[in-house]
Amino acid sequence: MIESSYEREFRAIANEYERSGGNASDFLRKDIVSIIVSGNKIIGRNTVEGVHLKARELDNGVEVWLDIDAGIVIENPIHLCTGYLKPEGEQVVLIHNNIGEGSKAKFISHCVFPSGKSFTHSMIADTKVGKNAEMVYEDTHMHSKDGGVTVKATYNTKVEEAGRFQNLFYLTKTRVGKLYVKMNVELEKNASAHIESKVYEREDDYLEIDEELHLNGEGSSGIAKTTVFATDSSKAKIINKAYGNAPYSRGHIECNEIIKGNSVEVGTVPELYVKDEKAELTHEASIGRVNIKQMETLMSKGLNEEEATDLIIKGMLR
Amino acid sequence: MLEIKDVKLVRDNRVILNNLTASFDRGQVYAVLGNNGVGKSTLSYVLMGLESHKDYTGQLLLNGDPIDALSVFERAVKGITLGWQEPARFTGLTVKEYLTLGGKRKIPKEELAEILSIVGLNEDYLQRFVDDTLSGGERKRIELASIMIINPEVIVLDEPDSGIDIMSMEMIETVLHRLKGKGSIVIIITHREEIAVMADEAYLLCAGRMLASGKPEEIVEFYRKLCDKCQHINEPVSKGGLQK
Repeated sequence: MIESSYEREFRAIANEYERSGGNASDFLRKDIVSIIVSGNKIIGRNTVEGVHLKARELDNGVEVWLDIDAGIVIENPIHLCTGYLKPEGEQVVLIHNNIGEGSKAKFISHCVFPSGKSFTHSMIADTKVGKNAEMVYEDTHMHSKDGGVTVKATYNTKVEEAGRFQNLFYLTKTRVGKLYVKMNVELEKNASAHIESKVYEREDDYLEIDEELHLNGEGSSGIAKTTVFATDSSKAKIINKAYGNAPYSRGHIECNEIIKGNSVEVGTVPELYVKDEKAELTHEASIGRVNIKQMETLMSKGLNEEEATDLIIKGMLR
Repeated sequence: MLEIKDVKLVRDNRVILNNLTASFDRGQVYAVLGNNGVGKSTLSYVLMGLESHKDYTGQLLLNGDPIDALSVFERAVKGITLGWQEPARFTGLTVKEYLTLGGKRKIPKEELAEILSIVGLNEDYLQRFVDDTLSGGERKRIELASIMIINPEVIVLDEPDSGIDIMSMEMIETVLHRLKGKGSIVIIITHREEIAVMADEAYLLCAGRMLASGKPEEIVEFYRKLCDKCQHINEPVSKGGLQK
């Protein structure tokens, strides 16, 4: 629930949250696990039976612990909202997630920094997905139009036997500023993971993404995928890595960078490492302009080049 | 009226379209019948003005105005469209967004559902993605639906039956009747006799030029007699009497 002294702050954050596609009224529901952070203050929180939510305020941010008991299936998505309304400053968010054996949970996280002119947000999420547990983590960012936001997001995840994990990162609706994303997943026997980032860069935005799959358990599998639309004079450097360390482990990494503009600089490096002869890893990478056949198909139906590009990219970054 | 005048297109020293001449009137369905490799798809790309097929010589006229300099989009604005033989796949784009061009065309849901039903799909497809979760046949049906929604002046249908089961010939005929009824020029590019006979007029295409034109049944008969058994593929037969 919302702390009474933070009503106005909540309203401001909620407005931005809704602009990013969220439904702020979910934060007021008693049957939804939620936590709202503004700067270094926890302005609202709620939890349900079987979910233990703890948080503390740091000098420049917050630290959150979220533990889900074994065998708990969370019906409604868990909502996390992190905001920073001032133009300058720094925010550190440390998250510890523990998804108990056989549990199921979906997290919807929104990070909204609408005014950032010289602002840095650093987030580290350490997550353990228990045996046979399932976790989906969707992280959507909304930054300021000035490009003055720097985000350093690190996700370290361990998926235990037969656990399933999905991590999706989206920054497509606003300027990026500077973005550094690291996703690192360790998979045990028969565990699976799908990690994916989608980013739309404008003006002089800068992006580095580093996704790693460590397929340590027999029969583990994973997909690491990145889609970037880079325009104007933006830059992007994408590294996708997969380590096939166990028999019958299977991994696929994929990076698609679509470019528009003569001053764009993008690069992608796929890295595959195998330590077991029964492991199987594949990769796929592409850099280029929007697919000409898709463009001409839409143009032959009445969209101009700009409209066709927008529609194609909208779909790809969805 | 759409006129093709002496259109020639050469690729790697090979003549693909060889001074091709033809004309098409409004409210008529035309078949351009021919074997594989005779230039059928190339003709459809030239008519649509694809970037990779703009280096032709000759002239295209729409209602007397040259359209050769126009881009794909500009030709679409003039009323020309193409039903693609192999429709493109779009990650993350729904059928509804594809049919309405991302909302640019305001079309009531009931109308979308009606058009989908004509091509044998139900309205649940509106929420499906136009990607590889749809079969080739489903994408082809959606392509035909998209043409009906646009309601253009000139429609080039490149192999409209490819990927669609033979049981659905009636559906294609219904689509053609509907397009014709709206007064469009419909040009069907095909190698299938069953499709060609649905037209009002037909052309026989061989080695990049129109070898004959006339009633579809006559052209189909020529095709059966000569092209089906042709020993010199893409070398037009010059026997007297064939050229009409």
